[in-house]
Amino acid sequence: MDGALRPNTLLEEAAVVVRVTAPDNLVLHRGDVLFSSGSVILRLDPATGSTTEMRRCGAEVTALGAQGDMLAIGLADGTLILSGETDRTIKTGDPCITALTPDGAGRLIMCIGSTRNTAADWKRDLLQGGASGQVRALSLADGAVQKLADGLSWPAGAALSGDRIVVVEAWKHRLTHIGAAVLISDLPGYPARLSPAPGGWWLTVFAPRNQLIELVLREHDYRTRMMREVDPDHWIAPSLSPAADFNAPMQGGAIRTHGIIKPWAPTRSSGLLVRLDADFRPIASWHSRADGRFHGVTSALQVGDRVLVASKGGGAILSLPAVRP
Amino acid sequence: MASDVFTRWRYRLVPDKIVGEVLSKNWVDTAIPVLFLLIALGVFAALIPTMFTAGSMSGMTRTAGEYLLVALGLTIVVMAGGIDLSVGSVFALANLSMLALGGVVGLPWGVAALLVLVIGGGIGLVNGLLIGYLRLRAFLTTLVMLIIVRSVTDTLLLSYSKQISSVQIAGPVWDFLAFKTLFGVAPSFIAALAVAALAHFTLTRLRPGWHVLAVGGSRRAAHNAGIDVRRTVCLTYVVSGVLTSAAGVFYAARLASLGNDTGLGLEITILTAVVLGGTSLGGGRGSVFKTVLGVIIVVLITNSLIRLGLRSGASSLVLGSILLIAVAIDVRWLKNRAKLLARSYVSPTYFALPPLQKVSRAPTTPYAINDLLSDAEPIGVGEVDGPEDVILDDEGNLYCGSRDGDIIRFLAPDHRVREVYVHIGGATLGLAFDRDGSLLVCVGGMGLYKVTRAREVIKLSDETTRSWLSIVDDSRMRLADDLDIAPDGRVFFSEATIRYEMHDWIIDALEGRGNGRIICYDPRDGSSKTVLSGRQFPNGICMVPDGQSFLFAETWGCRISRYYYDGPMKGRVEPVIADLPGYPDNINLASDGNFWCGIIGMRAPAFDLAQKMPKFRKHMVMQIARDEWLYPNMNTGGVIKFDLQGTIVQSLWDGVGERHPQVTSMREHKGYLYLGGIFNNRIGKYKIPGADPNWTSAQAYWGAKP
Repeated sequence: MDGALRPNTLLEEAAVVVRVTAPDNLVLHRGDVLFSSGSVILRLDPATGSTTEMRRCGAEVTALGAQGDMLAIGLADGTLILSGETDRTIKTGDPCITALTPDGAGRLIMCIGSTRNTAADWKRDLLQGGASGQVRALSLADGAVQKLADGLSWPAGAALSGDRIVVVEAWKHRLTHIGAAVLISDLPGYPARLSPAPGGWWLTVFAPRNQLIELVLREHDYRTRMMREVDPDHWIAPSLSPAADFNAPMQGGAIRTHGIIKPWAPTRSSGLLVRLDADFRPIASWHSRADGRFHGVTSALQVGDRVLVASKGGGAILSLPAVRP
Repeated sequence: MASDVFTRWRYRLVPDKIVGEVLSKNWVDTAIPVLFLLIALGVFAALIPTMFTAGSMSGMTRTAGEYLLVALGLTIVVMAGGIDLSVGSVFALANLSMLALGGVVGLPWGVAALLVLVIGGGIGLVNGLLIGYLRLRAFLTTLVMLIIVRSVTDTLLLSYSKQISSVQIAGPVWDFLAFKTLFGVAPSFIAALAVAALAHFTLTRLRPGWHVLAVGGSRRAAHNAGIDVRRTVCLTYVVSGVLTSAAGVFYAARLASLGNDTGLGLEITILTAVVLGGTSLGGGRGSVFKTVLGVIIVVLITNSLIRLGLRSGASSLVLGSILLIAVAIDVRWLKNRAKLLARSYVSPTYFALPPLQKVSRAPTTPYAINDLLSDAEPIGVGEVDGPEDVILDDEGNLYCGSRDGDIIRFLAPDHRVREVYVHIGGATLGLAFDRDGSLLVCVGGMGLYKVTRAREVIKLSDETTRSWLSIVDDSRMRLADDLDIAPDGRVFFSEATIRYEMHDWIIDALEGRGNGRIICYDPRDGSSKTVLSGRQFPNGICMVPDGQSFLFAETWGCRISRYYYDGPMKGRVEPVIADLPGYPDNINLASDGNFWCGIIGMRAPAFDLAQKMPKFRKHMVMQIARDEWLYPNMNTGGVIKFDLQGTIVQSLWDGVGERHPQVTSMREHKGYLYLGGIFNNRIGKYKIPGADPNWTSAQAYWGAKP
């Protein structure tokens, strides 16, 4: 990786706002910073790092979206809660809501990662060569659902650029305009959510690409047997957090030598936040490398002149100055 | 699974590893010209029915003899990294001078021939001085020499051709050289073969020959090694000049004629022969045998083309094309050989481990994970590099090996002072004290060594019997790993693998084959014999106090077995633990009569599955970079204590994996456990709760010192 994606340790050295289990989707709701952690939605004071529980849901929260008074909550069982004055509960039928983006014109753009697997089973979807994801638009007024695109390879995030919708296709390492051109492709990892930045975008990348994983993706026999015979925690697959398991697979370059793991060691997890310009071209990046802790970055939110970053795999919310390094 | 059964038999019956092993041999370079020769023979035998009659063959040996002499000279020049284009002209001049000196001047033919050799050597010396000492470009210098010598020859020819042509050299020996054969073989060919034998002996067995190869391989390295590069280069041209003029003498004897076209284009023909044989134009690689092959091919082709009625121009075209192809193959082969070899050498086979036991932090399981070893007190952090094994002497001094072949000693009682006890070389691995207090060491890359109390290093064993059917030379010891000493003084030591060098030991894991063996060194007669072979990375060895057996760990097999070297069960192997959840390394005695075993890494189910799918591993090795290859989890390990029945008594882990991610060895001494790791930069010292504070392994082995 070179140019704007040249590795550094800026994410690893970022200020830790709070340590919390598997923090995910950060949103700004009525001036408050909210994020999900498991089935709980918490309010965060970015200055002090104190959190208050706001809401406890019946299942794990897989995505959040906020606009005005409305807070949209996607749950792991496929339920969508639209919380405002009163709660409206909608059954989407697909337990794989990966991102929720209100479009400011009375619609909620929903990313359904896969119609075959649940959100928690994302590794399986990748290994199955998953291309069953959809992007839908939900009318907030009457609840009507319109399918905008299908056959996507795990749409994990969406953003509105002018009057067009940009969708992140994680398994294809790319960003596309729905029904139009590919904006960027060949990203060095599996991209997740997009959020607006002044004059551009924040793109989170939740896991790196890895030669061994791509070999496994090509090897049909091995892949199917691995999925059938091996516990998902021990698969050769991308991961949100650095391998801590005794029985995890290891690659030769990642042997701990003289007490350290090389930053450039082959790894199945890493932390990466990319700043894109208005045309979705990378202009800067923040990394936590193979030897780092803050891996599995799934969400970023700019608040004032700082950007908050949720490292789901590293169990922390980090704060960075929102300027190019 | 049915497919597993098929895969197992498929890999048991077809030994894929042969391909890589053959490719790793130096003689494989010769395979291409041999193949080429066979094809040429077949083609021409089919085209020309009279090709292989005795008379025809005998005629060919005359040309071949002369060509071979020139080619041998050129081979030596090319192997030293140069090139000699002047051979064609020197050949012509030699022919002319021989006829002139022997005929017109009337010298005895022997004296004349000697003078001709001196002339050829002289021209070679000029080349050599210019190229070797004045550092001119070989290509240009010899090209110019080609033109100059050719002009001189032509000028002489113009002035004296009549006189020379009118006088014939006579004499029985000369006539024999000219017309007779020995058993159908021309004298020139016999002479050339004799020179070839001499050249082969010189290049492979004698100092000057080694110098030539060294200079061709790398001038700078040769210079740094103290070789006189300039003189060596210079001498190769002298040799080339002498041999070329010898060929000229034979030519003169054969045809006794002068012509403008004598030796014209000879340099291309000879160069084709040399390169086609497989001697590399880049220098440093080649052999006399290859050149002999090349010459035979070239003579066969030129002769056949003439018989087929091709014009001489077309014949050159064919030869030129062959040269071009040979050079292309040479360049591509040299460039990619190492890469091809590195990848094709790894030869995975089917291997299924027993089902993996659950390893978790639940304290009820025998292998319950804990963090006890992360509290071990560090010794020599940053002062050791890969202490594979550790051992303590009577006085409590701590010894360990290192990646660069030292034995490091930390002085008792606090192990703060570090000293290099001895430097051996290789990679110092397993350690053991013998009855006299000498330290026996297994040295990866070298063999079994002994360090006396006076710090004298003595080689005990570095070769064993070679097995008949092995393609790799398995008499040499590549990776002596760990040892223990029987009460009668015999040393049993493991050689982890015979297929990989020390620095590549971990690649052996990808094969899933029993590549290792256990060797017995008997100090009474100094012999070394293989006692067990075909083992999967045999590693730790530890004597059982019964005086008849020892325990040994097979790392990739995840098992510990017991071998009886004496007594009624002699020769038997019994499993002790057959289903370890991790990869065992060294084994040593514990104070309570049990055994400690280091665990270097844990089984990864994804890797276990890959072991059952050799094709997947082969694809991995061929398709992705080496650092990305899949291995067992070597970042988690620890120590287990077990008894002879295979019961796990205790397990100690570094659950976090920062201080002792892999443990290759541990040694109990006066209530503490000392930990070594092959990738580590420290030795750990762990207090064993409740252990006998006076117990030492030296006393347990050899009894208390009086």
